[in-house]
Amino acid sequence: MNLGVDVEVTGLCRRFGGKVILDQLNLSCRAGEFVAIVGRSGSGKSTFLRLLAGLDRPDDGDVRVEGKVLTGLCPSSRMMFQDSRLLPWLRVGDNAGLGLPKSERKRSLELLGQVGLADRVTDWPAILSGGQKQRVALARSLAAAPRLLLLDEPLGSLDALTRLEMQQLIETLVKESGATTILITHDVEEAVALADRVILLAKGRLAHEWEIDLPRPRDRSGQGYVNLTRQILGKVLVE
Amino acid sequence: MTHRLFPWLVPLSLLIAWQAAGEFGWLSNRIMPAPSAVLRAGFRLAESGELARHLGISFQRAASGFVIGGGLGLILGILTGASRIAESLIDSTMQMLRTMPHLALIPLVILWLGIGEAAKVFLVALGVLFPVYLNTHHGVRNVDPGLIEMSRVHGLGRWGLFRRVLLPGALPSILVGVRFGLGVMWLTLIVAETIAAASGIGYLAMNAREFLQTDVVVLSILLYALLGKLADTIARWLEHVLLPWHPAHARSLSSSKPGEIP
Repeated sequence: MNLGVDVEVTGLCRRFGGKVILDQLNLSCRAGEFVAIVGRSGSGKSTFLRLLAGLDRPDDGDVRVEGKVLTGLCPSSRMMFQDSRLLPWLRVGDNAGLGLPKSERKRSLELLGQVGLADRVTDWPAILSGGQKQRVALARSLAAAPRLLLLDEPLGSLDALTRLEMQQLIETLVKESGATTILITHDVEEAVALADRVILLAKGRLAHEWEIDLPRPRDRSGQGYVNLTRQILGKVLVE
Repeated sequence: MTHRLFPWLVPLSLLIAWQAAGEFGWLSNRIMPAPSAVLRAGFRLAESGELARHLGISFQRAASGFVIGGGLGLILGILTGASRIAESLIDSTMQMLRTMPHLALIPLVILWLGIGEAAKVFLVALGVLFPVYLNTHHGVRNVDPGLIEMSRVHGLGRWGLFRRVLLPGALPSILVGVRFGLGVMWLTLIVAETIAAASGIGYLAMNAREFLQTDVVVLSILLYALLGKLADTIARWLEHVLLPWHPAHARSLSSSKPGEIP
């Protein structure tokens, strides 16, 4: 089991044109912590995640991963997107092993097994359903044993039932991997179900945060869960 | 549903009508020899070895011109597709040159290179260059940026990105360019061989014209048609082999269970 990294964000600013997307954002994540970020569209969630991945550069402030300022792509991180982004010309097994040296390809096959796609290894992505594609993408993200896992609304385009299944998969596999995880989501229930901490982003700033210390696996009809969900949702709507 | 042979009905009856017109003397042999006469001319030339010789030479010109022009187009297209610097350096020049019909260069090419092999290979290469270049450039440029971003996040370097993402992503478009290029290749060769050549199918036709051998002229035309069809078949076969993942080219996406194809 590998250990997650700690992430320290200080004074992070990002502007596009004259528009301020991230405004002096501060945040720190403990190694192995699962943080969910909620907020309305346009609150800067995705921009923030891209900065953490090193896909974009901040105008001001910095991201530190294990104390080191991030200057390029973050090598210990992997990212999962809202669309699966599988390479259509590689078979499922090769997609899951993308970027891995030959010697580590076995891990990607094991992970495909864990997400229930062991029998689809030689299929082309085109014949998979949306949920299956996203499971391949999850396996691909975890195969490299990332120490920082960035999830950009990975379940946003799935139907309700597939979503629930994926949430369970993410909860078990991510906890098993030990990676520090940052999940962006529109779905407050999803955030409360998965995360150790939920953060509300509004107008490019950290508006609120909640520690979720409900026991896992979380009972979605439990009083604590329902109350927290309602409380967070109320804040999201106000901000 | 119609019968499998149904599409052949019209061409077959045309062929029969053509033969009949020749047999009954409605169509002068000078103007249009009957199919049987064309076939006989073909056998005659095949027996004397002339047919193979001319075919071989034409094929050689076509192939070497295609490889040179297509290869250059591929390399330039990948370069300008993948690098902004190369694009601003080369692309506008290529776009300007492209508007010039390459067949208009024939007089100049004859002046430069005479009527030897080099002139024909040069013309074919020039003709093939642009369709392959344009489609390669377009193909590389239009690879989904999301896939490129994803690949970078997953640790692919420059070479990996090219080999795993850019090239396979551009391949459908490159093959369209190859198909266009093959068409241009034959057309250029026909013109070049007809205007100035001492061998090849075009020469065969022009030579036969001098001696009023209409059957050989028609044979040459049919040979070009056949070669064009052959090139197209090869291109389609290439698409089938190289793009097994592509829903438009794969006959069936293999190893899928029945009823799961969306």
